[in-house]
Amino acid sequence: MNTELKLQALLDGALDAREIREIETILAQDIQSAALMQELKWMKAAVAGNEAEVKLPETREFYWSKIERGIAAEAKKAAAAPAERAWWLRFIYPATGLAAMVAVMFVVSGGRTTDGADTESVPEDVNAISFRSEAEAMSVVYVADENGTFNPVGQETKNEPEADK
Amino acid sequence: MPQPPDFTTTLDVQLVASSQAGDMIAFEELVARHRDKIYARAFSMMRNEEDAIDLSQEAWVKAWQRLKQFQGDSSFATWMTRIVINLCLDQLRRQKRTRAESIEQLDEELGGVERQMPVVASNPAEGLERAELRKRIDKAMTQLSYEHRTVLILHEFEEMEYKQIAKVMNCSIGTVMSRLFYARRRLASLLQSLKKEQQS
Repeated sequence: MNTELKLQALLDGALDAREIREIETILAQDIQSAALMQELKWMKAAVAGNEAEVKLPETREFYWSKIERGIAAEAKKAAAAPAERAWWLRFIYPATGLAAMVAVMFVVSGGRTTDGADTESVPEDVNAISFRSEAEAMSVVYVADENGTFNPVGQETKNEPEADK
Repeated sequence: MPQPPDFTTTLDVQLVASSQAGDMIAFEELVARHRDKIYARAFSMMRNEEDAIDLSQEAWVKAWQRLKQFQGDSSFATWMTRIVINLCLDQLRRQKRTRAESIEQLDEELGGVERQMPVVASNPAEGLERAELRKRIDKAMTQLSYEHRTVLILHEFEEMEYKQIAKVMNCSIGTVMSRLFYARRRLASLLQSLKKEQQS
């Protein structure tokens, strides 16, 4: 805080004891600060209790009538709000239920492969594809050569009991 | 025909309690008692009669809706005044966003202008009748930006501390102090000019 604002804070009683001593020392030594402090004191004294007296330029009844209408309008709005909420709530609950059901179905179908079904992934922008057969317990990876022809590079069988090998 | 209730001896706290219970006649009495003060505060901030009427009425509507929140920590008049001050500040901020600032106003906002003003050497309020002083202060207040005017109003008329003003105006205590300092210095300069005009 600079000295000028500290002078003002002293005037407004917003300084602690140490700061008061500090600023009083400055005031005793610096004529400019003392003059500024005097100006601030004059203004504080001039303004205090001298607010212009203003009267409402409307009659009691006329002024109240608009307030009364405002209160009634707000009450009406508040009463209408639950009905408006109910309008979209009628849709939001079934929609949420449906979304939850779809999500569950997706998780269930994605997490488990149908017994014996074969899966193959062939993205367009890659030059390797894989093939997996659950029935055969086998995976094959095809890698494309420079002509775009896919050739198997290896195959793997899994989950066969040791005794069957 | 039923006689309207006589509230002459009824205290504000009793009227507030009745209003909180839904008695709109009691609330209307509170409005009648404090309407001048609430309107005057709105007018001092807005400097526009129409805005002041609208905002003070809006404050009463809000007060009715929030009456249950009034716990009696301050007087009802103080509580109402805070509501109207907040509404006026919201409105002034909205107006400021849509209005181009003059270079002088921007200088004020940036600060430092007050340091260039010469210190007033004689009391510009000395020897003035109270009514005349009030008139001059009011005239000088219209020439301050709303931020400086509001800080002065809140500190000098509403007797709020720096911290409370900072909260209401949503700024730092340093900004409040700086704005108050500028407002006082500018007010001194304006009152000095008015005094000189009168003397010449």
